[in-house]
Amino acid sequence: MPINKDPSTPPPVIGKIGPYTVFMTPPATPKPPESPAAVSQKPNLPPPVLPPPQQFKSVASSEQDGSVLGFFKNAATKVQNAHSSVDDHLVRWFGLNQSKYQWALDEYYEGKGSKNRKKQEEGFRAFKRTKFCASASFYPEPPSASPSTLAAMIRGGRSHLTSPPSFSNDAKKLLVCTGNTVSVFSAATGLQITSLEGHTAPVTTLLVVPASTAAQKILSYCWTASLDGMIRYWDFSGPELLKTVDAKVPIYSMVIPSLLSEPQQVDSSKLVAYVSVEDASLVKEGSKELRGHIRRFDLAKERLSRGDTLKETEEPKSIVISPSGEFFGIRHKCKIHVWGVPSGGGSRNAVAKKMTLHHTKVINAFAFHPTERIIAAGDVTGRVLIWRGFGNRKLALGSQKKSVRSVVDLDNPGVRDGDDAESCTTWHWHSAEVNVLNFSSDGAYLYSGGREGVLVVWQLDTGKKKFLPRIGSPLLYFIWSPEPTLSSVVCADNQIHLLKMPSMEISRTISGIKVLCVFGFQPPPSLPKMYEGLSSTVAFDRSSGIAALCTENYCVQLYNLLNDRGISEVQVCERNHQPGDEITVVVTAVALSLDGSVMSTTEVKLPEDGIGGLVSLKFWESEPDNKTFTLSTIVYEPHKDAGVSAIAFHPTRSMAVSTSFGGDFKIWVCNSDKSQTDKDSSWICHAVGSYKKKPMTAAAFSGDGTVLAVAAENVITLWNPDKNILLSVLGATLTPITKLCFVGKSEFLVAASNFPKPELSVWNTSKLSLSWSYELRIEAVTSAVDSSTFAVLALVPKSFRKSKSKKNIFRGRDGAILLFNGSDPKPVSIWTVMKAQGGSISFLEGDKSQLRLAYVNGSHEYVVFDPNSDDTHERSAIGYEGLVGDEETGDFGYTSLYGQLPDYDKKRKDDAESLATPFVSSERPWETIFSGSTLNFPPLQKLCGEFFESLMEKSNSVVE
Amino acid sequence: MEEELRVRLNDHQPSKIFPVKPKSTPKTLSKPETPDSRYWSSFKPHSIPNLVSSISAVAFSPIHPHSFAVAHSTTVSLFSSNTLTTSRRFSFKDVVSSVSFRSDGALLAASDLSGTVQVFDVKERMALRSLRSHKAAARFVKYPVHDKLHLVSGGDDGVVKYWDVAGGTVISDLIGHKDYVRCGDCSPVNDSMFATGSYDHTIKVWDARVGNSKWIAEINHGAPVEDIVYLPSGGMIATAGLNSVKVWDLIGGGRMVCSMESHNKTVTCLSVGRMGLEGENRIVSCSLDGYMKVFDYGRGKVTYSMRFPAPLMSVGISPDSSVRVVGGSNGMVFAGKKKKKARDDEEKKKASVVTSFWSVKSEVDESRRRALRPSYFRYFQRGQSEKPSKDDYLVKESKGVKLTRHDKLLKKFRHKEALVSVLEEKKPADVVAVMEELVARRKIVKCVSNLEEGELGLLLGFLQRYCTVERYSKLLMALTKKVLETRGEEINGKEEFKGILRNLKREVNQEIKIQQSLLEIQGVIAPLMRIAGR
Repeated sequence: MPINKDPSTPPPVIGKIGPYTVFMTPPATPKPPESPAAVSQKPNLPPPVLPPPQQFKSVASSEQDGSVLGFFKNAATKVQNAHSSVDDHLVRWFGLNQSKYQWALDEYYEGKGSKNRKKQEEGFRAFKRTKFCASASFYPEPPSASPSTLAAMIRGGRSHLTSPPSFSNDAKKLLVCTGNTVSVFSAATGLQITSLEGHTAPVTTLLVVPASTAAQKILSYCWTASLDGMIRYWDFSGPELLKTVDAKVPIYSMVIPSLLSEPQQVDSSKLVAYVSVEDASLVKEGSKELRGHIRRFDLAKERLSRGDTLKETEEPKSIVISPSGEFFGIRHKCKIHVWGVPSGGGSRNAVAKKMTLHHTKVINAFAFHPTERIIAAGDVTGRVLIWRGFGNRKLALGSQKKSVRSVVDLDNPGVRDGDDAESCTTWHWHSAEVNVLNFSSDGAYLYSGGREGVLVVWQLDTGKKKFLPRIGSPLLYFIWSPEPTLSSVVCADNQIHLLKMPSMEISRTISGIKVLCVFGFQPPPSLPKMYEGLSSTVAFDRSSGIAALCTENYCVQLYNLLNDRGISEVQVCERNHQPGDEITVVVTAVALSLDGSVMSTTEVKLPEDGIGGLVSLKFWESEPDNKTFTLSTIVYEPHKDAGVSAIAFHPTRSMAVSTSFGGDFKIWVCNSDKSQTDKDSSWICHAVGSYKKKPMTAAAFSGDGTVLAVAAENVITLWNPDKNILLSVLGATLTPITKLCFVGKSEFLVAASNFPKPELSVWNTSKLSLSWSYELRIEAVTSAVDSSTFAVLALVPKSFRKSKSKKNIFRGRDGAILLFNGSDPKPVSIWTVMKAQGGSISFLEGDKSQLRLAYVNGSHEYVVFDPNSDDTHERSAIGYEGLVGDEETGDFGYTSLYGQLPDYDKKRKDDAESLATPFVSSERPWETIFSGSTLNFPPLQKLCGEFFESLMEKSNSVVE
Repeated sequence: MEEELRVRLNDHQPSKIFPVKPKSTPKTLSKPETPDSRYWSSFKPHSIPNLVSSISAVAFSPIHPHSFAVAHSTTVSLFSSNTLTTSRRFSFKDVVSSVSFRSDGALLAASDLSGTVQVFDVKERMALRSLRSHKAAARFVKYPVHDKLHLVSGGDDGVVKYWDVAGGTVISDLIGHKDYVRCGDCSPVNDSMFATGSYDHTIKVWDARVGNSKWIAEINHGAPVEDIVYLPSGGMIATAGLNSVKVWDLIGGGRMVCSMESHNKTVTCLSVGRMGLEGENRIVSCSLDGYMKVFDYGRGKVTYSMRFPAPLMSVGISPDSSVRVVGGSNGMVFAGKKKKKARDDEEKKKASVVTSFWSVKSEVDESRRRALRPSYFRYFQRGQSEKPSKDDYLVKESKGVKLTRHDKLLKKFRHKEALVSVLEEKKPADVVAVMEELVARRKIVKCVSNLEEGELGLLLGFLQRYCTVERYSKLLMALTKKVLETRGEEINGKEEFKGILRNLKREVNQEIKIQQSLLEIQGVIAPLMRIAGR
């Protein structure tokens, strides 16, 4: 075993390397310390006089690491200091004044031109935050890669969480608001069928027109409302846009009571909606005007008058409507405002009557009973309040309700402030806030859920409870379908679970890309601040376009970026995640080998009061062609107590390197070559190395795998990974290096450091010298395997963004992707992006012809585009054509409960058909209309026309 | 349909219950057990102590039940190989050097250092003949394998003598060795052929039929020969000299077949053992380094090696390979006995005879059971043990996760009780796993402060025992410190904790010392490695 250590390191300590490995103490086979002889062994001695590299930063020359190289470096720096003032290229980029992209940027923003859109977005975000209070942001800002070279683009990772989903009338489809579109999923397979595209801002409300009779169940119409101020009416089986109403103000919530109360007369001309809007005219900076308005809106007149305002609040509120369509209401701090819907629909003068229910805590969610006058409300402390018989006095509807006593009854138990309710009871099970409240369709049960990720079913009469525990994420919505056996629950980690109802089993999960909320996680206090955010929580399988993301519930989610679909989850740590609990175990890093067959993860168990605590490194292997990873090796404490800073895989062989803050790196190899059976394959430590006991912060293999670069704080050490020989040391940067990346097959090496002074530097490994560097804070680096291009994700400094001339350009985008080519310090392309903090980029090179760049931002939305093409064509992540065929016809209703009835008619039919066949010509054209999946059926009106037409054609042929 | 059903059944989500598991321990990288090691380690050890002086020779009777004679000091003890207890003793005037049974097992010949060879009747314990001719100590005596009338002996006078036992006379003096003759063996195929080994490094093969007292073959071992043994084919011999064992082909003109040098000290005795009744033959050697090694001369490999706590002087394997006896220099006999399968079979037969009385009834039972039909009431009372018939479709139920007591308590958040219950179980790996889980739940400090007195004693006892175990020490040392900090007052006051604390202190001190010495070793090694690296 070749082991080579730097001479200045003290003798190796006998310690454990970890189970599954042969116990090895690294004997030092040292080199003469800091002698010139050591340098002279290097294959390529740098030429004594170097052309001064382009250096933006003035380098402090006090750095003296004693090596000859460091001396050269310092000498070079001194020369540079004399010459370098400001880097021309960077000014060009930052200033963008002379940039060739400037015109494109200007044009783009002028074309878009909507000034207040950003404000709307912000408002919406605030609105959402108040609603959930759970996690950072659920609002899908697509990582808008802007302007000039917008490529053939796949966007995805949209959040499923912005507003409650909805089932279609036959319960076979689930409609989910995903950003600007509405996605339609199949409830049977969990795959996306189609999407409704047209809104230009996030969709906030989705109302499926309910069916009153069984025959109408195939009807598939829905209303959507969006922040772009549009209300649209769709036929989602098509999908086809039928109608658009412009409300001119951003709509945050909308209800249409008459859809529920009088479903028979669905006449879109007479519909009246109640909308929650934000009056943009009143929005000023710092004004205390009441921005949120609840208004009555006549969908026929397409006009929203201020006179119809029912209530004004500081922020737009979401409206909750009773399933019967009689009442709707909003929650406002500790109060619930309830309006009764005036009967008789369209009459203009009928003003909705209003009443208020009071509570002492802030109310988080509430729901109406489907038949009786019962309101359930959940507050921030986890209590569930049930008001029975509300509004008997104030909301007496119509003449028949007049008989209800109107005497003020003072001994209403539990009712506060003389509210109009008969009684109020409180149930307390939830330990944290209640986010989900919903009555079952028959009104016998109440579903509640919240931060704990437990769905509780209360029997309304008795208060008895049933639970669906261990969902693993805060619940956001619970909806039931027209089918009694199916319901759905939406979680804060972007998962939609379909529940099989009486037993409450999770039958299927529609998984979006998981949102990472590492709020509350602090890195172990032993780590200095400069190492924060060092290990990557996103890894890419370049060939298949799969991203592996660390999630909160100790899993790694494998997500197909090209199809926008979750593939599987790997439980890294055998624990259940309890949202809201203190985080004690964190999956800190994930890495995938180049071919995607091996995954490596690290997890940290944080100690309690100095007791316990464990770092473990795991290797997972997958069978070729299926992405189910199985645990191959666990290494406990791979670097003693120290945390793992980076993992990198060898490009061709099964070899990996892990570096640690403890000052050493270890090379791991898979011993499967020796043993014939795959089951026995395990990863063992091949070599240990260290450089002057400096913390090792990053590692990368070169494109052909012959050189291993390990960053030892602020120098880069190059090693032969097989023999573990130190090849050479690349001079010092100012600050610890956090990212390393070899540029394809060229001799360049990219290094990035963040804290306290950010720096991006490119080194020439053949000349062992610095090529150029920028003062840029880099979040991620990636390079293409075959070409010499590489891309970095840079955070644009705040001070720079805020300066007046550029404010318009960046508009909330805090990062930029820069594409470089080899040694050229001029970026080839630039894209500005949102939420770059914590983002990650990677080249995807599945088919050799096309090189694509994937960018996943901090909130796990992503975009995949071709960095070299100028094509501005964008396409959605899903090839619908391929998916429609996947539709599976499941059993529903009666058949799902009791199985298929024997088909007595069948025989008769067969007989009839066998009789009929002689007369029916086989090429009857209208038969083809009905062939194919039922989901592809055009709407009835169309079908009728076509059908009759075909009949006529046939009669013609008969005449002939 | 069947396929589809199976798919549906497997479709459900994986269980979300994770019982607390101890850390997995590394797999050993050693090779799986070979048939050799399995066979040779299957002797059940049984040591016989208290024999005076070293065990100079061991011999097995060729006749069932293969009792064996052990020569130690001036005595030869006869042991039964069934009970491994001594049944008879034969006394001599001087130290006995060698023993040998006659082919019918009725007579026993022994040589002593006075030069006398005596022949005893095993049953009567009577000395039948006393053969005196050696002028110095006699070192070996051997009965030919089938011949009942002659004896071969050799001694420090360098002469090999061929005896007529009945007459008590020397038939021929075979002269040729230039030094002490220490060992000899008779050919298993020819009663008049025998080989002797001497300290003059040579092995000489003699034929009693050749009258001129000349050896017929000579082999040079290259070291003083300590023991010699004919391999069962009769064409090969194995010799031991110094720390090497060599195998020679006699028919091929004394060519060396292979040599084994894995002993560290002089090999004192050789024996041929068979692996089971039909197995291959192995050379078993024992040496002064305390190792018994099994040598597969067919492949030239040492297949098994076993260490004994004393230098070994002699080894013997019973002809039915059910007993292995190794004699040590300190008077210990390390016997090993295989469990007898034959007897088991017999017992089984007997048992079957006994049960056959009841077999009639059980057959009736069986026929009844087979006849169960839905028309019987008992059909509906079948239990879980009922076997499915051929055309039944089996619906496999997914097995639930089995939870132990502490898992159940952890599930109910009764942390302290979980800790106590796992402490009572005395599985250190489980205890540490539960503690780690408590750390992850941020409850260990609270648990420690909530422990009652008896439970605290339990915990302290555990900590005392395991806190210096390398695998657990990181967690347990910190925990020990915490326990002593938080519960110091209570611990100080109690008499029963004093002993535990004292032990704990001693353990920790010992560990510190070990660490110290390890560091010292490291300090010694590091400069050496540095020099080697240069």
